[in-house]
Amino acid sequence: MSAAAPMLEVKGLAKRFPPRSGQEESPWILADLSFHVSDQEFLTMVGPSGAGKSTLLNIIAQVDGASEGEIFFRGELIETANGAALSPGWNCQIGYVTQDDNLLPWRTLIDNVTLPLKVQGRYDKAAMQRVDDLLRATNLVGFERYYPHELSGGMRKRASLIRTLAYDPPIILMDEPFGAVDAQTRTQLQQDLLRLWNLGRKTIVFVTHDIGEAIALGDRVLVMSKSPAKIVADHRVDIKRPRDLGNLYKLEGFGDMFETVRREIQ
Amino acid sequence: MTIAVTRPLPGIRAKHNLVPAGRIALGIAFLAVWQLGSNVMGREWLPGPADTLARIWELAASGQLGRDTLVTFGEAAVGMILGGAAGAALPFLLRLSPRLMTALDPLISAAFGVPKLALAPLFILWFGIGVTTKVVFVASIVFFLLFYNGLAGILSVDQRLVSMLRVAGASEWVISREVVWNTTKPFLFSGLKIALPRALSGAVVGEFIAADAGLGWYIQHARSINDTTGVVAGAVIVTVLVIAVNAALQRVQARSLAWRPIAKDMAI
Repeated sequence: MSAAAPMLEVKGLAKRFPPRSGQEESPWILADLSFHVSDQEFLTMVGPSGAGKSTLLNIIAQVDGASEGEIFFRGELIETANGAALSPGWNCQIGYVTQDDNLLPWRTLIDNVTLPLKVQGRYDKAAMQRVDDLLRATNLVGFERYYPHELSGGMRKRASLIRTLAYDPPIILMDEPFGAVDAQTRTQLQQDLLRLWNLGRKTIVFVTHDIGEAIALGDRVLVMSKSPAKIVADHRVDIKRPRDLGNLYKLEGFGDMFETVRREIQ
Repeated sequence: MTIAVTRPLPGIRAKHNLVPAGRIALGIAFLAVWQLGSNVMGREWLPGPADTLARIWELAASGQLGRDTLVTFGEAAVGMILGGAAGAALPFLLRLSPRLMTALDPLISAAFGVPKLALAPLFILWFGIGVTTKVVFVASIVFFLLFYNGLAGILSVDQRLVSMLRVAGASEWVISREVVWNTTKPFLFSGLKIALPRALSGAVVGEFIAADAGLGWYIQHARSINDTTGVVAGAVIVTVLVIAVNAALQRVQARSLAWRPIAKDMAI
């Protein structure tokens, strides 16, 4: 494990699902996809709907296997296409915030948030304090004993976000976590996320089909092509932080980058 | 304005009382029709509510009611626990091996299709005319009801929740306990709701065939001496028993599934 090794490195990743009956060869979802993420970097990946973004994150999180390619975590090979058993979450090192909040409907908000800590046997004083801070930072105090169906969509998203932040994995994958909420809630959630990230400075891989969101949040934006997905461009976002997400077009350089990415994505 | 907020409107309160009032009215109407039928047909053909109640009182006073109820209830309970536990547990085991599930499926369907009543003579031959036969009979009915409901629960487990927990470091045991069990629980309650009355009536029917005690034996005995009041009294006692057991189940279910948004609306 060398100091120079990136946090996460994806090399030549390709994926296709087993053919359905009647289908001779199933199409490639991902083809020869390579990129890396540095420690404490907020990487966003933007691509059209159906580009295989969720598939990519499922493979990195080891919920699904790769057909070709390799994945390295801090220089260590953690996944290949050789059919070895998957290890979802790579021993709690890779957190995953999915598109749906996936809260357990029979558990209250606080039980949902603390469940990973409990199953990992790490729910101690420090963890309790951390959960408390996160609840406060996301305005969820007072709703701890509510069941998910009693919470608003935005609250469920925040709960699902801090469930992963609470157990503090070094890298967190996010799959359009703010997809299914209204525009105003979305801006609020993005602002919350940036504030939380600023407090902890984790490594984040954030996938979205929203170009504005990708530029507004990221240190670096990777542009993905239509399926089979590849990386077609890699932009450094030089907009200084903290960023006012309520007024994206007032941010310096936002408009030009938006235009560039929009052209590349087609 | 404040009065309207602090006090429910009279119309709303009236609606609140409508359901219990309707129930009482229906109950009275039922008893009236029953009594009328008894008057028209003659009390030897259809004993009225008063005769029936008098008989139940008599049975209670002599201690026979308690004795026979205990026998029937005991057979139903033991059969329910044995058959129910096996039926509920099997889907959890089959979950671990999809291949075994596929292999066993037609066998279980076939066994479900066998009319248990037709096997009663065999059960008596193997287990005698005592309580064991009734317990086996009840268990053989209840097993399938819980098995199929449990299986439907297991098959409806949300795989996304399973993946989420795996990523967060949960063991397979935690996933079974947390996701599979909690998903399956409402299905098992639906199974119980059907199985509990069946268990009681299964014990009663078992006693019809061969017994020397129990409510089914009492009804059968009354029938053999043309004691229609005894038959109706026995049927009423079994019905009350079923209602009591159902009410108890409803309570346990409401507490156990309190998290569900529909728990209240679904209460029947």
